[in-house]
Amino acid sequence: MSSSTHAAVRQPAPPLLTLSAVTKRFPGVVALDAVDLTVHAGRVHALIGENGAGKSTLLKIVAGADRPDAGTVELDGKPVRFSEPRDALNVGITVIYQELSLVPQLDAEANIFLGMEPARHGVLDRRTLAGRAREALRTLGANFDAGTPAGELSVAEQQLVELARALARDARLIALDEPTAALSHLETERLFEQIRNLCARGIGVIFVSHRLEEIRRIADEITVLRDGRRVFTGPATAVDDAGLIRHMVGRDVEYARLPSAVPSSDQPLLEARALGKGRSFADVSLRVRRGEIVGLAGLVGAGRTEVARCIAGADTLDAGTMTLAGAPYRPSSPRDAITRGVVYLPEDRKTQGLVLGMSVRENVTLATLQRFSRYGVILLPAERAAASRQTIAVELRPPEIERNAGTLSGGNQQKVVLAKWLLADADLLIFDEPTRGVDVATKAELHRLIRALADAGKAVLVISSELPEVLALADRIVVMREGRVAGELPASAATAEGVLALALPAAHAA
Amino acid sequence: MKAPRAARFGVPLALAGLVLVAGVLIPGFMSRANLTTILLHVSINGIIALGCTFVIITAGIDLSVGSVVGFAGVLTAATLTSGAVLRLLGPAGAAVAAGLVGIAAGAAVGLLNGSVVSRLGVAPFIVTLATMTAARGAARLVTGGVPIGFPDPGDPLYGGKVAALDALHAVGGGRIPVPGLPTGFPVPALVMLALVAAGAFILARTRFGRHVYAVGGNEEASRLSGVAVARIKLGTYAISGGCAGLAAVLLVGQLRSGGPDTGMLYELNAIAAAVIGGTSLFGGIGTAYGALTGALLIGVLNNGLDLLGVQSFWQEIAKGVIILLAVLFDVWMKRADARRRARAGRT
Repeated sequence: MSSSTHAAVRQPAPPLLTLSAVTKRFPGVVALDAVDLTVHAGRVHALIGENGAGKSTLLKIVAGADRPDAGTVELDGKPVRFSEPRDALNVGITVIYQELSLVPQLDAEANIFLGMEPARHGVLDRRTLAGRAREALRTLGANFDAGTPAGELSVAEQQLVELARALARDARLIALDEPTAALSHLETERLFEQIRNLCARGIGVIFVSHRLEEIRRIADEITVLRDGRRVFTGPATAVDDAGLIRHMVGRDVEYARLPSAVPSSDQPLLEARALGKGRSFADVSLRVRRGEIVGLAGLVGAGRTEVARCIAGADTLDAGTMTLAGAPYRPSSPRDAITRGVVYLPEDRKTQGLVLGMSVRENVTLATLQRFSRYGVILLPAERAAASRQTIAVELRPPEIERNAGTLSGGNQQKVVLAKWLLADADLLIFDEPTRGVDVATKAELHRLIRALADAGKAVLVISSELPEVLALADRIVVMREGRVAGELPASAATAEGVLALALPAAHAA
Repeated sequence: MKAPRAARFGVPLALAGLVLVAGVLIPGFMSRANLTTILLHVSINGIIALGCTFVIITAGIDLSVGSVVGFAGVLTAATLTSGAVLRLLGPAGAAVAAGLVGIAAGAAVGLLNGSVVSRLGVAPFIVTLATMTAARGAARLVTGGVPIGFPDPGDPLYGGKVAALDALHAVGGGRIPVPGLPTGFPVPALVMLALVAAGAFILARTRFGRHVYAVGGNEEASRLSGVAVARIKLGTYAISGGCAGLAAVLLVGQLRSGGPDTGMLYELNAIAAAVIGGTSLFGGIGTAYGALTGALLIGVLNNGLDLLGVQSFWQEIAKGVIILLAVLFDVWMKRADARRRARAGRT
């Protein structure tokens, strides 16, 4: 429900911010495709969409951190062009990212004025600084000391510091990227109160969130993005939750369903019971059988990668037990997990999957080098033969094993990582976002390769934020939400709407 | 992985060019005796630089090697002139024991560095800065601040001690007769060349060497691939310390004594040689031959400027400029690499 006072602000005056046909391309992907967005002064415009729908890119363009390839940005009806974030800040646009950007060692007031400190001849005017910082914090109802180092404040308090910083800069538009993700119920209520106060002062707000219930309470308008396109814009009152989910899921990206060719075994290869780790996840139980692909669905931050890393020995569990082929399994390191036949293909190939400076051959054999060496000396012919065989098996194009891995495209890099683990002949393969940043044709190839692994009797766990991919690939889908298993669906009964409904966070329990 | 192509050929070419220019301009530079002298002068730095190269490829740094030369050197000299060791093993045996003690002392400091870096996760710069200070202090403590190795003629074991010093001198200061080379070929230079060949083989052809590059190129990817990252790092620091220990043994042999202040600033010369030779301080890139060419480049430069009678102050400035150029070259290669990658990613 939007506060009715906002309606009075509506005038024929030009909107505060207008994006028209904004397009942004990255190598191999169109992140934003001719997107329009209009934000009015004193109103909250919610932006929703699945992971990868283009919300972050849109925010970056509004913030001046990215430049659009096409389209225009207008402020008060006048076109503006930002070449760096500073330009956007100077005209009153502040974007508050999920990862807060405070300097933890500096106190709250120093953070508020960071980059625009009041000074006389280069000497800080401490009194003015402190006075104005305190006033901005008081306006926001903050009840902590402005002299506290930012690192000692809670997330909610840090958000207030960011908001105070926006106020101190006379912001006219504030964009908040999932601001409630780390807040308690009470903190969320307080934040909403402050957002309404900001609106009453004529500030326009862009609010990005996955929580439909919250959006319903705070937003005046809603825009839904899907695959870089705007699929819906309208007043918050004009659409219900089911309608929003339908818009978010859409229908146009579909992959050929690759059914299992062999029946999966009855006994689970991996059985995990009540796994938990710190604040990342708790009480996660799942089983993966040979010949089966289990999809792990959920929103970014639901804890899927954290669970996978613990299964693969990259991180250690706090709670729970696992068995592998019936025997107790608790890996102390990736090395340990690999010797037990469990391998992990990380989400970020460049920083975790490959040694970019090394050749394809050296990357492919990195995990299995002891098989191609005697007394510690590498047997080059054997290594070359194995690397060639594997690169052909994963259809690397061109299958040049001496090429530098850093010069390959995203899809080819993923194939090199896959080749490395095919060589290791593992029993359980965990794929984390296997096709992120990969072109459509290569995606289909990777899907085929993953299915072939399962058909060859491997157990496969696939994490993907792309619902159509999970639906096409998995035999069974486990959905995680906020660190817990929200539900499990057999592939035959799963729909995109069903999975998303499980993945979206519920309203805060009071 | 090897250095980028330009670095692989650029530095040897620069070295060849420098030798040619010096040969034309400086009378006596190209004489066999002078070239042999350069090799001898380069050998200590070359051996230390080779060890450091292993560490730097893992994106680490070893600042302790200079102090290790002092520390291992005084232990070597003390063993060499110890009455008990001499009585037990005789002069030749004492020389062997002293050599082993020196290498072991260096490797032990290296193992300490490596353990703290890899198990406790402390930054290599800090860890080796600490052992650099401590090893120097230990060397001074052992000796009371004065060099060891000058037997008292009144000592009943005087003859034996001199014989032991002579035995080690045969290695550290010895020459192998070579036809056509009146001065003979210096043993330390031979040791350096043999070690560089061994180092090149280890880096290029063994599993340990491959893992050294992998850890330096991407530590997290290596860990996730099952590489025993901690063990690999430990190994590189042990090699670095061991090389410094061996350099100390050769120096004690050469000088017939071990001084607590020997090896001051050697760490910086060694790191300079490695970097000039194309080893990247960012990790993942470097070769054993690079350490050799880097050390040779510095040696040729010093020798040439010496022969020209240039003040040593100017030599230091020249060396500084060359180090800066080498590092700029490294950064420039990185950028070119990144550009190439960006282009490849777009296609």
